[in-house]
Amino acid sequence: MRVAYWPGCVSRGFTAELHGSMAKVAPLLDIELVELDRANCCGAGVIAEHSQELADTLNARTFALAQQEINNGADLMMNICSTCQGAQSECQQRLDANAEYRAHVNETLQASDGLEYQDGIVNKNFLWVLVEEIGLEQLTSLVKRPLTDLRVGPFYGCYIVRPTDRLGIDAENPRDTYLGQVIEALGGTVIDYAGSHKCCGFPIITMNKEASLQQAGRHLGDAVDADADCLVTPCPLCHLNLDLQQPMAAKAVGRDLDMPVLHLPQLVGLALGLTPKELGLQHHVVKPTSVIDWSQSVVAGVGA
Amino acid sequence: MAEFTLRLRRYDPSSGEAPYWDEHTIDLEPHRSVLEGILQAKARTDGSIGIRCSCRAAICGSCGVRINGQPGLACHTHLDVALARSKDGVIEVEPMGNMPVIKDLIVDMDAVHWKKIQRVSPWLINKEPVPEREYIVSRESMIDVTQTAACIQCGACVSDCLSMEVDPEFVGPAALAKAYRFVGDPRDAKHEQRLKDLSEDRHGIYSCTHCFKCIEACPKGVAPMNQIMRLRRIAGNDFHIEDRNNGERHERAFVKNIQRNGLLHEADLLPDSYGGKFSPRAVPELLSSLPIVATALRRRKMTIGGALLHPHKAPDGVKRIYDIVEGRDERVELNLYITGTDEDNAENPIQSVTQDVVTADAAGSDTGGAGSSV
Amino acid sequence: MPAHDVLIIGAGLAGQRAALAAAQKGATVALMSKVHPVRSHSVAAAGGINAAVNPADDWRSHAYDTVKGSDFLGDQDAIEIMCREAPGEVMHLEHIGVTFHRNDRGEIDLRAFGGASMKRTAYVADITGQALLHVLYEQVMKHHEVIDRFEEWFVSSLVIDEQGTCVGAVAREIRSGKMETFSAKNVILASGGAGQCFKPTTNALICTGDGIAQAYQAGAPLMDMEMIQYHPTTLAENGFLITEGARGEGAHLLNSEGARFMEKYAPNKMELASRDVVSRAEQTEILEGRGVGPEGTGIWLDITVVPKKRTLEALREIVNIGKDFAGVDITAEPIMIQPGMHYIMGGVKTDINGATPIPGLYAAGEVACVSVHGGNRLGANSLLDTLIFGRRAGEHAAERSYNMAMPTASDERLAIDRERVAEILARPRTGRRVSEIKEELGTTMNRYVAVFRDESGLQSAHEVVRRLKEEARTAYVDDKGTVFNQDVLGAIELDYMLDCAEAIVVAALERKESRGAQFRTDFPDRNDEEWLKHIDIARNGDDEPHVSYSPVTITQWQPEERKY
Repeated sequence: MRVAYWPGCVSRGFTAELHGSMAKVAPLLDIELVELDRANCCGAGVIAEHSQELADTLNARTFALAQQEINNGADLMMNICSTCQGAQSECQQRLDANAEYRAHVNETLQASDGLEYQDGIVNKNFLWVLVEEIGLEQLTSLVKRPLTDLRVGPFYGCYIVRPTDRLGIDAENPRDTYLGQVIEALGGTVIDYAGSHKCCGFPIITMNKEASLQQAGRHLGDAVDADADCLVTPCPLCHLNLDLQQPMAAKAVGRDLDMPVLHLPQLVGLALGLTPKELGLQHHVVKPTSVIDWSQSVVAGVGA
Repeated sequence: MAEFTLRLRRYDPSSGEAPYWDEHTIDLEPHRSVLEGILQAKARTDGSIGIRCSCRAAICGSCGVRINGQPGLACHTHLDVALARSKDGVIEVEPMGNMPVIKDLIVDMDAVHWKKIQRVSPWLINKEPVPEREYIVSRESMIDVTQTAACIQCGACVSDCLSMEVDPEFVGPAALAKAYRFVGDPRDAKHEQRLKDLSEDRHGIYSCTHCFKCIEACPKGVAPMNQIMRLRRIAGNDFHIEDRNNGERHERAFVKNIQRNGLLHEADLLPDSYGGKFSPRAVPELLSSLPIVATALRRRKMTIGGALLHPHKAPDGVKRIYDIVEGRDERVELNLYITGTDEDNAENPIQSVTQDVVTADAAGSDTGGAGSSV
Repeated sequence: MPAHDVLIIGAGLAGQRAALAAAQKGATVALMSKVHPVRSHSVAAAGGINAAVNPADDWRSHAYDTVKGSDFLGDQDAIEIMCREAPGEVMHLEHIGVTFHRNDRGEIDLRAFGGASMKRTAYVADITGQALLHVLYEQVMKHHEVIDRFEEWFVSSLVIDEQGTCVGAVAREIRSGKMETFSAKNVILASGGAGQCFKPTTNALICTGDGIAQAYQAGAPLMDMEMIQYHPTTLAENGFLITEGARGEGAHLLNSEGARFMEKYAPNKMELASRDVVSRAEQTEILEGRGVGPEGTGIWLDITVVPKKRTLEALREIVNIGKDFAGVDITAEPIMIQPGMHYIMGGVKTDINGATPIPGLYAAGEVACVSVHGGNRLGANSLLDTLIFGRRAGEHAAERSYNMAMPTASDERLAIDRERVAEILARPRTGRRVSEIKEELGTTMNRYVAVFRDESGLQSAHEVVRRLKEEARTAYVDDKGTVFNQDVLGAIELDYMLDCAEAIVVAALERKESRGAQFRTDFPDRNDEEWLKHIDIARNGDDEPHVSYSPVTITQWQPEERKY
């Protein structure tokens, strides 16, 4: 399949290993990534806080650029960030609900860029693409290095699980269980722990640092107590607060954490046979030693 | 009729015992409510089960509980829906979170919920002069505020607020939604003061961690988090309140960051949120981050060049969008609660996007500083 | 011992309004409620509040509509006061922050409602009761320094001294189980109606007639108890209310033939005739075989004729009720309703200031009978009633407290009530469960004391009520604890309900005519010559209800034939 690919901002900035690992994993899944290199930041909910119209217009621009690729044969738009998914879905909800408003926004797009957004774009996070477009059976069939004995805790990120009606989560599409399903499809053990659907705290890191780090620290701690080897998350902003800020989070909750946090493409990549180095695991602040050891031990096992 | 198993969390403070689980089998039609199930158990077998309830019709707000881990009203949750969400075929009911438990499913709302409501001065402070008859205000402004006035004070949002979980002093979604009820009301005279108070509070509007739990929890469509974001918007845009919590600065920094770079340049965002790289607020933050920065550099997660240089520049299209939208005299805001969707309005298409726009400039205007709604 | 100038029992609209009015007059105020004030049943009132605020309107027109709506049993001096003071009260509410819906000119919008000759119902979507109650509570919070709140305190008795004056009440702190005597110069009962005597009912579980029974036990007369309003549009299964506002917006009532049958019964006002007329019309259609639903016991309410946008804006709550409790999208299909017990026009007899014949005892709101509603209450007049008479009772009680010594209520009643609680807790499991007796009471009342009544049915009801009163004496409870013991309160509430039920049945038996909400198939006509009077029920020292009569006050409007 071919996707109009929106990589987001942070995946190319402070968590560049996410962008890199996605690029390596895509061909193994038969996904052709057509990168929207002219598109802009989704606003991460902060621009919408300042001005809904600005956020809606900026995201309509990204949608319009994606639609150009879709008209050229791409199947849908894909993002690799929970926050992009949530922020963009919120804007899309407004744009799609009201033709008058959409026309108003399109006026701006026309004047600024000669673009137009047609309502109804399909924008899916990589996690949803794995389950809904590729399918778990297909995914399992591609696994070269099953995640056997790897205990993985899912960390979704708020923006991709709430509010459920906006994100199309219901009994037919239990998107808030997909991470667990993917982990199992890759052969891993899903760790149930209290913080899996809670907030990493990133949105308030500058406004209430203590509360922000307490959240990250607490959820990481819950995963430690549940004996997870690592967490996996589809959101690079969560990754920042859980990995980059882990030393500070550990201080905030007064305990050692040492919990590696993987990006979703990295987890998938390991199962598909890529090495930790190829997936950029060495760039993490919290060394994913347990995961690297595991992958190497399994690599040593395979072919032995 | 169908059989359901309810697992209720019991706690009797006078017994000296710890809380425990208690199972009851009930039989009711599947579309009946969990509350009806609990009341059947109470009526038939155990009258000591404690739960607050009154109207049974989701308007009094008494029966807030957690069902299979989700907060909501017991009278508003169907048995078959609750069963579908259950992990083990049993419908689990516990008291709401973030509040002390008095007995069984009854929590002390005075200690948390009502205390915080009182904190935001939840009464209209009249704009003078008070007219003889009614204040003349726009239809939209009253419908807008009715969204928050629809709050039945059930506590479901407070129960699961993630900020409050780590910071019990957080003013919270119910109280802040209540605050919007006045900031959005053109008849209230204290918009600026209310916003200043709640912006400067270390546990005020900028401590909301933006997790959407309260929007998901609310049985009445109040969407507390949206009201909090509107408070931030009005505080920053209309009153230019530069709070000590860096909330307004962070918002402004982010907006400018994208205007300049098109993509988020993280290295600028953090210091700019504090006021700039060399501002007195930023320096201690940057210093305390040095160990992390050092580690990140070592791991080649970031590079000095990447941090200091700006490899991305905003495309012209993005800059023009900013010019057009930020250049408007009045903020355009679509509130689906007021306008409804196109599908809802099939018979009566919305006339004009800018009709009845309430002025976004607060100072001195009769219709106050509420965000304009389209 | 807590001692206040004014002790208000019940914190719904009437109670809170009384508290604010009394505090404003400088009285010390205690506001007591067995639930948190915002849980009071006022919160469920939906459609709106009547007032002649439109300059083209006249309060006399509102008053006449009310008199006619009452089937001429209402006291016209009280009705005049209520309608004359209504516009001022609505403006007051707007000033303290109620978010009334507006018209295009920004003025308070007015909608049509049952029995009204002109659009005069101010509203907040279809959550008017909630809007008013929460705004009043905001004011109560604002004045927390002068209004002492006793939230989740349950009153078990009034305290009457040897001179027959009300000097306080005995109450139980539900949270801890401790019981205390409260002294007061004045007590205002504002504890609402007794809908739980009927099953189904639109009323909340807390509507157990506490204040009516307490006043009755203290010797105060109850008036017009036979007048029970069956609301035309309640959900068939659980009795939930579908607001009259739906019909105000233009909804139709249809029988199994798809016909708007109201044409036969009220050709002018159609679906917006007075509630008793509409309920009887529906019940007649059902009895004559034109009902809908699997058992033919319902009627269609068709809201699809209202523009969808208007429904979503002004009837948002019933969209939710339809969806959540009946699985119906009211913008796309009709919803099945039937008449359901909703309101009691009768109650504790008071004068136009809310004073009962017992010195120091007042009553306001649904618990009281002034009477402004007579034989039938118009929609959107109840919210008005609670506020006007809540305010008047609060002011009058406050004024009465000036120059008056604070009484010290004796603890005699406290000892009796403590003993009573102990006795209930000690009952063996040989009797019936409280819930069983309550269930039988409710279904019996709904069967024999509903829209159409007759002598034999009412006698059967009376027998059942008497038997249930006996059985209630040995009804046992499971919870023997002190913390939040809802079980024992349920047993006490059952006693209250049985007292109310008996008064209702005795009054219905006594009135041998049909007027307003009372329709006797054995006396189907209105008989002004013999029955243009109130029926009073009082205890007079023993346990039997005694019947007497009091005159109807007529000022301007002579009784006439009542047609819609």
